[in-house]
Amino acid sequence: MASMHFIFSDTVVLLFDFWSVHSPAGMALSVLVVLLLAVLYEGIKVGKAKLLDQVLMNLPTSISQQAIAETDGESAGSDSSPISRTHHRWYLCHFGQSLIHVIQVVIGYFIMLAVMSYNTWIFLGVVLGSAVGYYLAYPLLSMA
Amino acid sequence: MDHSHHMEMSYTDPNSTMPPSHHHPTTSASHSHGGGDSNMMMMMPMTFYFGFENVQLLFSGLVINTAGEMAGAFVAVFLLAMFYEGLKIARESLLRKSQVSIRYNSMPVPGPNGTILMETHKTVGQQMLSFPHLLQTVLHIIQVVISYFLMLIFMTYNGYLCIAVAAGAGTGYFLFSWKKAVVVDITEHCH
Repeated sequence: MASMHFIFSDTVVLLFDFWSVHSPAGMALSVLVVLLLAVLYEGIKVGKAKLLDQVLMNLPTSISQQAIAETDGESAGSDSSPISRTHHRWYLCHFGQSLIHVIQVVIGYFIMLAVMSYNTWIFLGVVLGSAVGYYLAYPLLSMA
Repeated sequence: MDHSHHMEMSYTDPNSTMPPSHHHPTTSASHSHGGGDSNMMMMMPMTFYFGFENVQLLFSGLVINTAGEMAGAFVAVFLLAMFYEGLKIARESLLRKSQVSIRYNSMPVPGPNGTILMETHKTVGQQMLSFPHLLQTVLHIIQVVISYFLMLIFMTYNGYLCIAVAAGAGTGYFLFSWKKAVVVDITEHCH
């Protein structure tokens, strides 16, 4: 069974067969990669929220009212072409956001699996990366 | 010692097969062990692999041995991840709908030029023993359990199951968050 307590070690295999570390230099590089991964994860979280804000602000109110009417009951009116084009653009935006969500989920799980290696250096890299990522990204959230 | 954790588990069951050997620990570990893989096998893989032989899934009776069973497990995990995303959105909308008590607190604060301004704080909340809050608590427990199940499924390191989790999360987000995005636009313009 894998190690079930934190150890300081220069040897670890992370996530994939080819990512095997057996030297201090390799460990330092791996910690850096994991740190950047955690920074990216925090950045994606903020980026997704900002993207949603931007999409909602640029969205003409008519499309959301029409979407509300369609969800509430049957809408008998036919779409005029400008509204259907913005519909189309909005569905594309939402599809893009779903892809970003998948990337966020996958990166989150990769970070979890990296911490699961129970290597203390990797764990410290994740913690530091989350801290740096939060520090850099969250002020951008309140900016307009 | 960093090598010792490879040697602690002695494999007692000679009948069950191991997951595909390309993630066998002795190929990736840094120590050479002279090909001693007859009685030292890693029961939990630590790198990603694609396979459907002898995949244990969450519970002791649930073992995947054939491609058909793997396909069924893929669909089940996909639906579980979709349900998790939907549960998140449903809890948010339930919370918004049930927030009826809005308390306003006004307090004087010093403003510029020595004037006194009244600052009003708005807090929304629920009663502790009300039905909406109990429902939120039950849904929260279900959400926590499902999120841990998804984590454990991802921890099997099986490539097919991990792809099922990611795809299910993406599809669930796409289907359920669409409705949420529309509603948020109307009811609040600062989210």
